[in-house]
Amino acid sequence: MAIVQLEDVKKIYKLGKTEVHALRGVTFSIAKGDFAALIGPSGSGKSTILNLMGCIDQPTEGVVTIDGKVTHGLSDKALTRLRHETLGFIFQSFNLIPVLNVYENIEFPLLLGKNSMGKQETREWIEYLIEAVGLSDHMQHKSNELSGGQRQRVAIARALVTKPQIVLADEPTANLDSKTGQSILELMRKMNAELNTTFIFSTHDHTIIDIADHVIRLLDGQIVENTRQSAEAGGL
Amino acid sequence: MMLTTMRVAFRNISRQKKRSFLLVGAIAFGMLVITLLNALTGGVVENLRVNFSHALGGHVFIIGREFTSSGQVILKIAPDERLDQLLVEHDSVIESLTKRSRTLPTLIFGSKQTMQLMYGVDFLAEDKLLDSLVVTDGSLEHVLEYHDAIILPKPSGERLGVQPGETILVKLETLTGQQNVGEFRVAAFIEDQEQFGISAAYAHRTYLNSLLNLEADEYQVLNMFLTDLAVLEDLARDFRLGLRSPDELEEEFAEVEEEEMGLTVTVGNVPITPTPEPEEIRPWDGTRYEVMHINQIMEPVEQMVGVLNKVALVIFLILLVVTMVGITNTFRMIMIERTREIGTMRAFGMQKGQVRSIFLWEAAFLGILGSLAGVVLGGVIALILGSITFNADPSLQFFLNHGQITFTFAPASIVFNLCLVVFTSLLAAYRPATAAARLSPLEALSSHT
Ligand SMILES: Nc1ncnc2c1ncn2[C@@H]1O[C@H](COP(=O)(O)OP(=O)(O)O)[C@@H](O)[C@H]1O
Ligand SMILES: [Mg+2]
Repeated sequence: MAIVQLEDVKKIYKLGKTEVHALRGVTFSIAKGDFAALIGPSGSGKSTILNLMGCIDQPTEGVVTIDGKVTHGLSDKALTRLRHETLGFIFQSFNLIPVLNVYENIEFPLLLGKNSMGKQETREWIEYLIEAVGLSDHMQHKSNELSGGQRQRVAIARALVTKPQIVLADEPTANLDSKTGQSILELMRKMNAELNTTFIFSTHDHTIIDIADHVIRLLDGQIVENTRQSAEAGGL
Repeated sequence: MMLTTMRVAFRNISRQKKRSFLLVGAIAFGMLVITLLNALTGGVVENLRVNFSHALGGHVFIIGREFTSSGQVILKIAPDERLDQLLVEHDSVIESLTKRSRTLPTLIFGSKQTMQLMYGVDFLAEDKLLDSLVVTDGSLEHVLEYHDAIILPKPSGERLGVQPGETILVKLETLTGQQNVGEFRVAAFIEDQEQFGISAAYAHRTYLNSLLNLEADEYQVLNMFLTDLAVLEDLARDFRLGLRSPDELEEEFAEVEEEEMGLTVTVGNVPITPTPEPEEIRPWDGTRYEVMHINQIMEPVEQMVGVLNKVALVIFLILLVVTMVGITNTFRMIMIERTREIGTMRAFGMQKGQVRSIFLWEAAFLGILGSLAGVVLGGVIALILGSITFNADPSLQFFLNHGQITFTFAPASIVFNLCLVVFTSLLAAYRPATAAARLSPLEALSSHT
């Protein structure tokens, strides 16, 4: 069952009089629970696709469907709500909120909308996530007291806190050394397996292919490879 | 959800401590200035009211005028049922009451003489007066026994070189203007209990009256202290209406405006010198009363204070405008600094309105913190300044409370100013806040700040 679907999506950026064709008709779908990688060189359109899936950008042409909802024509308010309810984000440069500590950063998305969990349940859930990303000893730390890898771990927990269907990560390892990057990908994979959350991330690191369920390779705004490993039940 | 935006906003204030401190400081300064100025003028008005009342010996002053057969206007109140009735009716709000005759005679002892304000007092009726006087020489014990006793302020006694027990001459004018002389026995010297240079000598009213050509039960001024100044003007009006004679009513009907103008009060070395209007010497029967009260005397003072407060408000508004420009610029800067953070929050589902709320709450908090700091600082400064005793000259003492500056804080105007500050802070932050809310999440996230 497809949780994300792109149908003949085109994206044209206008820069003055010149038009940049970022996506030239892209069609693919991602199955629920997959650990999916977008690979391709810089400028190939990975971020553009993630932004469209993340409902922070609209396609010039084509249809983007997220969890069964067509994003086209939705108001800013509705899109914001859709992001809150269905999506989680991990950014290349972590983007933690500096005034908040680890616990509060993770809690933050929950405070932006209705939270079906009770107080105690919420606390336990956040503590579970902190434990899961290995930061139990850093709960009260502010982001400037953490290393890059630790920050990205906080970001992973934050992306998962609202129990979203999909977590989108645009080059989550690009600002990390390769060893730390590797551990971040492994953590994402672990959470994907544990919570059955769909992860879609971009990278230009080719070694990723082994651990992804689904690899989409892009070049100049077009798909040049779309491989889905036979669906086995999660795991590394 | 509002709590979230408030919490983030509150934390954000502490992010750039120096910047927040400057803004809070600027707001606090403005608030400090207006609060202190208002408190100072308020205190001055209060002190003047108290000091004037004290110097004039009351809150309400009633004088009576009679038109004599020889065509003279004399100052005199004879026993009057209407007046007694009014006094009974208002007994509950009258704290104390004095019925005195008054003169400004020349005191003579041997070759020395001095002018001295002098009251004729019913010591039995004014039973607290003797207790309130501070004796420096002699004694008040026998005042009641000697009908011709006089109590002198110490400076006058020194000027005359007289000793308690000795007799002085008092040269005065009767009501109708004839010269008269009486002998008084000096009972005691008293401390100048009036702070403001208006010191009085006291004698028995019956004896002084006999010299002034008044009956024993007549007097010239009726002064009242009230228990509650809130009823002052109502009480004065009751007395004014209750004491009006029928022919006065008619005249008033004819010339309403002139009556208003005719009220003249002079404050100087002699309290309240009534000035009969020269153009209106139409004869009348019986006593015509004039009822004055302390608020009438305070009116010009309050007008002046009103102007001062307006000036203070203008200064405050100018400071606010300057601060407002500062806030607007700061918030523009903050918006740019936090663009990516705004993008992140928007991505996670923060609505535009919530982004704006964060900025507005930040502005509101700055305003509230600044105002409170200003008020607290003002309170501290007032406390310090208010504890200093100034040895200023007597005319300045009139503005003070026993030599100390009084600051009267008016909660209502403080709250009003606080609201004004918060409102202008919100106004100043509104445009940057809206701009921040309008940022597209995509552009905000790809910003490099
Ligand atoms: N906001 C934009 N305005 C103009 N051109 C853009 C914009 N964003 C991306 N592009 C262009 O679209 C193409 C795809 O970019 P992007 O999706 O960011 O690629 P990737 O993430 O794979 O590096 C590039 O040629 C890039 O220059
Ligand atoms: Mg990119």
